[in-house]
Amino acid sequence: MTTPSVEPHAGPRRLTYAIVFLILAALTAIEIALSMLGVDPALRTPAFLVLSLAKATLVAVFYMHLRHDSRLYAFVFIVPVILFALFAGVTLIP
Amino acid sequence: MSEHMTSHAEAYRSGRALGLQPLKLGMWLFLASEVMFFGGLISAFLHYKVNNPSTEGALLDVPLVGVNTFVLLTSSFTVVLGLSAIRQGDRRGLVRFLAATVLLGVAFLGGQAYEFVSLYGHGVTLNGSLFGSTFFTLTGFHGLHVLIGLIWALSTLYGALRGRYAADRYEGVEVFGLYWHFVDVVWIVLFTIIYLV
Repeated sequence: MTTPSVEPHAGPRRLTYAIVFLILAALTAIEIALSMLGVDPALRTPAFLVLSLAKATLVAVFYMHLRHDSRLYAFVFIVPVILFALFAGVTLIP
Repeated sequence: MSEHMTSHAEAYRSGRALGLQPLKLGMWLFLASEVMFFGGLISAFLHYKVNNPSTEGALLDVPLVGVNTFVLLTSSFTVVLGLSAIRQGDRRGLVRFLAATVLLGVAFLGGQAYEFVSLYGHGVTLNGSLFGSTFFTLTGFHGLHVLIGLIWALSTLYGALRGRYAADRYEGVEVFGLYWHFVDVVWIVLFTIIYLV
C-alpha cells in the first residue's frame, strides 16, 4: 500500500461526484415511486432495467474511475459482465 | 535468476508507464471473478423467478429496501469524497469520510438484518421454498461482501489515522473504494431484479 500512486489524470472533481450522487438518488426515488404506482408491468419492467443499467454505469464510470483510468481495467470488467448478460438471458428460456 | 528479476522489473516499469497499477489491475481481475460469482447466483434467482413464480415476493418491503439502497449509494459517495480529500492531502477529511462510510455500511447491514428477521417471521426461510433459498443465498452473500467491506473500511480508517496515506500515496484507499463501489453496483442490480421487476 505504500507504492506511490500513478496519477495519469487530475481525476473527477467533488462537484462531479456530487452531481452523480444526486442523479443516483433521483433515479432510485423514481424506481421506488414506479414500484408503488399501478403501472403496467410490461411498461414498468423495461423502465426498471434501463434505470438500473444507468445507475450501475454511473457508479462504474465516475466512482470507479473507468472514464479516466486505463481502458484495460474497463475491458477486464466488461467482458465478464457481457458473458453474465448472455448467461442470464439463456437461463430465462423456459 | 538476475535475468528473471530484470524482466520482472522491466514489465513492472512498462505497466506503470502505460498508467497501469499492479494493485488496481489485480483488484479489477478479482472483481471480474466476482461478476461471475454473483452472475451464477443472479441467474439461478431469475430462472426460478420466471419459471416458478412465488407469492412470497409480495412480502418484500420495497420502501424499506429502497431506503437501504439509498444508504449504500450514499456510502459510495462518502468513499469518493474520502479519496478526493486524500488526493488533496486532507488526511482529516479522509478519516471523516471513511468513518461515515463505516456508519452507513453498518446501517445497511442493520436494515438487511431487520428485513431477514421480518421475512422469517412471515415464514419465508432459507430452506422453506425455492424463493427463500435463492433470495437468502443471493442477498446473504451480498451482505457478507458488505461485511468484508466494512472490515476493510475499518482497516483503511486505522491506516488513515496512523498517517499511512498522503496526497502522493493513496492507492490503498483507491483499491478499497473499487471493492466498495462494486458491492454497490451489485446491490443496484439486485434491488431491481429481486424487489422491482
